This record gives sequence, structure tokens and C-alpha cells, in this order.
Amino acid sequence: MSQLSLKSLSKSFGTFTVFDKLDLDAETGEIVVIFGGSGTGKTILLRLIAGVEEPTAGTISIAGEDAADIAPEHRGVGMAFQNFALFPHMSAAENIASPLRAMHATEDKVAAGVAKAAKLLKIDHVLGHAPRELSNGQKQRTALARALAAEPRILLLDDPLRNVDAKLRFEMRLELPRLLRQSGATVLYVTQDYKEAMALADRIAVLAGGKFVQIATPEDIYLRPATLGVARLFGDPSINTLDTAIATDGASVNVAGKPLSIARDYKGHAGKAVTFGVRPEAVSLAASGITAEVMAVTPLNERVVLLLTAEGGWELLASLPSTAKVPEPGSTVHLAFAAEGSHLFDKATGERLHG
Amino acid sequence: MAELVLNAVDKIYRTKKKAVHAVKDFNLTVKSGEIVALLGSSGCGKTSTLRMIAGFEDVSNGTITLGGKPIHTLPPSQRGVAMAFEAYSLYPPLTIGDNIAFALKAAKMPAAQQQARVKAMAEMLEIDGILNKYPSSVSGGQQQRASLGRALVRQAGLYLLDEPMGQLEPQLRAVLRGRIKHYLREHTCTTILVTHDQTEANALADRIAVMEGGVLQQFASPAELKARPANLFTGTFIGEPPMNIFDATVESNAETVTFHVDGGTVLSYPASEFSAALLKQLSQNPKVTLGIRPYALHAGKGPITGKVVSCQWLGDQTHVAIEVGGRTVVSVAHERIREKPGSDLSLSVASGDLHIFNRDSQSAVAHGGVLA
Repeated sequence: MSQLSLKSLSKSFGTFTVFDKLDLDAETGEIVVIFGGSGTGKTILLRLIAGVEEPTAGTISIAGEDAADIAPEHRGVGMAFQNFALFPHMSAAENIASPLRAMHATEDKVAAGVAKAAKLLKIDHVLGHAPRELSNGQKQRTALARALAAEPRILLLDDPLRNVDAKLRFEMRLELPRLLRQSGATVLYVTQDYKEAMALADRIAVLAGGKFVQIATPEDIYLRPATLGVARLFGDPSINTLDTAIATDGASVNVAGKPLSIARDYKGHAGKAVTFGVRPEAVSLAASGITAEVMAVTPLNERVVLLLTAEGGWELLASLPSTAKVPEPGSTVHLAFAAEGSHLFDKATGERLHG
Repeated sequence: MAELVLNAVDKIYRTKKKAVHAVKDFNLTVKSGEIVALLGSSGCGKTSTLRMIAGFEDVSNGTITLGGKPIHTLPPSQRGVAMAFEAYSLYPPLTIGDNIAFALKAAKMPAAQQQARVKAMAEMLEIDGILNKYPSSVSGGQQQRASLGRALVRQAGLYLLDEPMGQLEPQLRAVLRGRIKHYLREHTCTTILVTHDQTEANALADRIAVMEGGVLQQFASPAELKARPANLFTGTFIGEPPMNIFDATVESNAETVTFHVDGGTVLSYPASEFSAALLKQLSQNPKVTLGIRPYALHAGKGPITGKVVSCQWLGDQTHVAIEVGGRTVVSVAHERIREKPGSDLSLSVASGDLHIFNRDSQSAVAHGGVLA
């Protein structure tokens, strides 16, 4: 039995469908990231689980029990938001205590709960401060401590690192998995940042067009994306694409006027119109192969990104480790594509073809 | 195209109560056709500097020349500067196409030529499909691209780009950076880019002026900033994830140089890997701050040992955090690494990857075994 189970969950407002028939099972202690662009319904999904909004159809079960029969305050759900949403008139300690007080916990239990959560989030020293006296990082830690204080079964985190600066976001990203695991809660974590999703998730559920397009481990999402859409959402720079077709032998596609043999056998799809996708880090410089001109060289952290124009006018990016020999802008190079980051997608449906 | 020179420029904002010295004795030469980024966090003085160059602010002291001609006393319209604004500032009653063509029209360029220029620019920025739309009906990212197009399409002595790519759609960013860099080079545009985003500065700029507290900290190429940061500020500001910092005490003899790092780690190297001048300097000032970039820390055998906090694979890199002596140390690798949280891990670093800073002045003492 899953700790949290969504079955055929749908939500509409009038004629507008936010999402339709979502299925998801999350186990105790599992971190599931709900990933998608703005307006895809991620926050509404959390609100349904918390019980502040009702589904149009379908069921939510918590530890096997239909949530429709459980009042929001008894669902055992803790929540934190991207705008922190701290009570401005209460100290950090009182904010953290609020869910315990709502449950009418004894003073001893409140004090112990606050102390434990504050210690975990390293905010013991600011417990007496009002929210306005806290930095954004401390506010977010206070909000997380409040979500954890009542030891919820399910923790809903709505893009909690959105409004903290890059340095703190990075530090929190390293720290959060351990912290969340210590809580023992099943975590649904909403973000629009693919790196955050990959770093934190046991599994990622990609929400697009009102559906979960793929629910899988970060490894599967990145290396075996279900659709071109998913492939585009993960990776920086984004995956290169070229519309082409599978040759009749099923073992090559036409790339920039040359047959490119593909590692897997796509015989069943011979002649099919496809989109060839290759991740920039799977493009390397070779002694021979497709010819391209280097248009620009743009360093990206410890990598160097080349903007290339290949034969036939195909514009693509290559991302090389900065330890590699980097060509000058204007020079001509040859390209090789690693099998691991190369995919074929059905041009009509966007689905990845399995060789 | 022209060389831009800022000579001893100050900006002091005076109110009745106090004077704020926003830019202090700022000297900068941007070569003709060069792309320079002013990089810093908010309040560092980069925007004040940009506004002085554009003519929206007076200089309090100093001079600004473009192509040898002083421009700091001229009204903005006579400075020969094209600008893209962070807030886009498109003309609302004009279509995207007319916004981009605005300066060309004002310069009385023949209509056919105008159209061709606007079309090519719009294609480069992928807004050719919305040229007939009005700014209010397109997305922020599209408005930003239109604002950039309006600036770049002009003929100008200097291009000022204020946070020009902050709102761009993530999937487009890398390609547009490449195309814009190519365009600026092809047209030998002397360009100043103002940004708080080091990714953007590194990608586009030939040289980066790092600013903090109104003071120029370092002016160098992206590679130089990374390899030879002038001080601890630049060292920790440039590079993602940021450099790991340790306080250490150095002990050396004829054979060995040993860094006793606070927290208990001991790093030892053959003395031959350090220049004689550096060894002398370290013996006089043994208390230093060590900087080690995450990419320079390699997982495997090594003297830095701790428990894995997290190991996060991001597709093209792995971030490993370990707890060493009560603090978190970050290592990054290009390849995929699998380490379980809670397990023991050792990290090594070559002497050539050590950055040594003076603990009091915070200025760089040495990079990779030789004096800075």
C-alpha cells in the first residue's frame, strides 16, 4: 500500500481542464518531484492533496484511506510555499509551533517539536525573531521547519527555493535530500528547475498538457526521455533537433546530407519521418564526419559551448569539457555524436522511438 | 566602431542627509569591437556606471570618451550609443517590427533596406513571427528579444545591453548567446553588457569587469578570472558552484610543503611544486586562506576525507558534497559518479589547483604554486 495514491485524478474549473486522469503512487519516505512549466497545474495538484481544493473526479488516498473522508487538518500533511507565507505577527518559533497548536498539542510537545525542527534546519539562533527580521534564506528555513514540525506523513513543498538567492539555493539543494529523509515523510516537491528536480528526486513526474508525460527516475528521464518535449525540458543547453527520416535499412538517418548510422536498429520504422535529437554534451569533435563551421564560442561554467552551422544549414550546439581543445570561431570542424545522448522521436507524435 | 575610455569616474548620490559613493575612481578601457561585461550583484555600481555612459546620470568626477571624443557632457541622444533596457521599454503603440525599425526610420534609411535589416534581426532572435504584434500582446521573453533587436539593428559607436537576456526562455538562451556573440563580432560592435549573471558574462564577454561596493575588483578574460582571481571576492564570486574556502597554516621545509587546514585536514606536496619566491612568502606569512574550485577536487584516494552528504547527477555533471570537519565541501565532476549518502569518500587536489589568499588583505598570494 502506497503512502499517497492518486487515481484518475482530474481537476477542471468550468470548461477549463487543468489536468485529466492523473495516476501516481508515492511510497513512504520517497521524494517525488512534480516538474512542469508555469500554468501546468502543479500548485493546484498540491492544493488538492492538502484538501484546500476539491478534485473534479478521481481519488486521493493517504495510507490507504480515501482522503475525501479526511478533513484537511487530519490528513497529516505539511506544506511550504515559494513565498514563505509566514504569519507576520508571530515570531519564527510561533510560526513553527502553529501546526502543533492547531492540533492542540501539549506545551511540552510544542516546545519539543519546535526545538527539533529548528535544530534540523539550523535556525535555533533566530527563533525569537519576527519574519521581517529574517533573511530570505532564514524565512524559507522557518517555513520548512513549520511544515516539518508536526511530523507530517506527507510533505508538500511548492517551489520552496524559488525566492532565495543562487548561492543559498545551491546549498539547500545539497542539504535538502538528507533533511527530507530524516523527516521520514513522503515528499511531493514542485519545481520548474530541472537541475533541482534531478538533484532531489527519487522519481520525477513531468506534468505537461494536463497529463503526467513521464514518471521515472532522473536517470531515465534524462537518458531515456519518453517524448521530445521531456527531452527539451531537461538539459542545459537544451537538446539539438533536426527533422529527418529513417533510411530504408533502418540503421541510418540523413543528417546534414550524410547518412548517420544509428547505434540501434530501427528496422520496424524504416522510412518514418523523425526528429533526430542529440544532446549538446553528446556532440564531440572528430577527425572526420559531418562538417560544421564554428560560429561562436561561449564558455559555460567548466564547459565550452560551441554554436555550429553544419552542412545543410543545421544549427546546433556542442558542449565540451573546458579541458578539451577548443576551436576558434570561424574554423571548420567535424562532428561525432555519442549514442547515449542521441535519440529518434516520431515526428508526428513526439514519442521516442525504441530501436 | 570606437574605443570607450572611462577615466577616474566617480558617482556620488547626494541627499540632504548623506552622500552615497556608488562608483569609486573607476577606470576602464574597452577596445574597439570588444565585448565587455560589467558584472556584480545589486548595489555594486554597475548600473550607475552604465547610466553614466548612456547619459542618464551625470558623472560626479572623471571623464568618459568614445573614439577619443569626450561624451560625458553630451545629451544621451548625441552620444552615438544604442541601448537595450532591462525593462524592455518598447514603444507600446508601435508593432514589434516598427519598434525594431525605429532608429532606422529616424535615420531615413530606404524602406526596402529597413525591411531587410529588421527581417534578418528578427530571424536571428526568433521573433520574425510576431513582427506585426504589439508589445503588450507578446511574452516577456519576446519583448526582451525585441528590445535587444531594436538596439542591435542600429549603427552605433557603442552598444549598451542592460541585463539583456534575463527573461529569455531557458531553451533558447544558449543558442541566442551564441548568435548574438557571432553578430557582435561580425559587426565589430564595441559592447558593454551589464549583468548580475556570471553565466551570461562568461558566455558573451571578451573581458569581464567584476564590481563590488562601487569598486572595480578585477578586469580580465573569463579564463583569467577563473585561473587567477585577484582577490578572495573575485575567487568566490566567479565560478559555479563557488570555490571551497579553507583557513590553513603552511609549514614547509626543503622537501615538503604542508597545509594544516582548520578542521584537521592535512595537504602535503613536494616543495619542488612551489616557486622559491612563493615559499619565502609563505614562510613569512604562514596563515593563509586556501581556495579550491569544486572541479579541482577529485573523488578517489586523497587527504580530504569525510562522509557523503549528497551526490547529485545533473545529466552532464555530478555534484558531490561531503562533510569534512563540520563543514560541507563540494566536488564536481564531468562524469557520472555514484556515491551513497552517509558513505566515506576521499578527495584529492593537485598543488597546481590551489589558490592562496592573504588572510588579512584577502588579495591573492599565489595560483598553482607561483606568486600571483
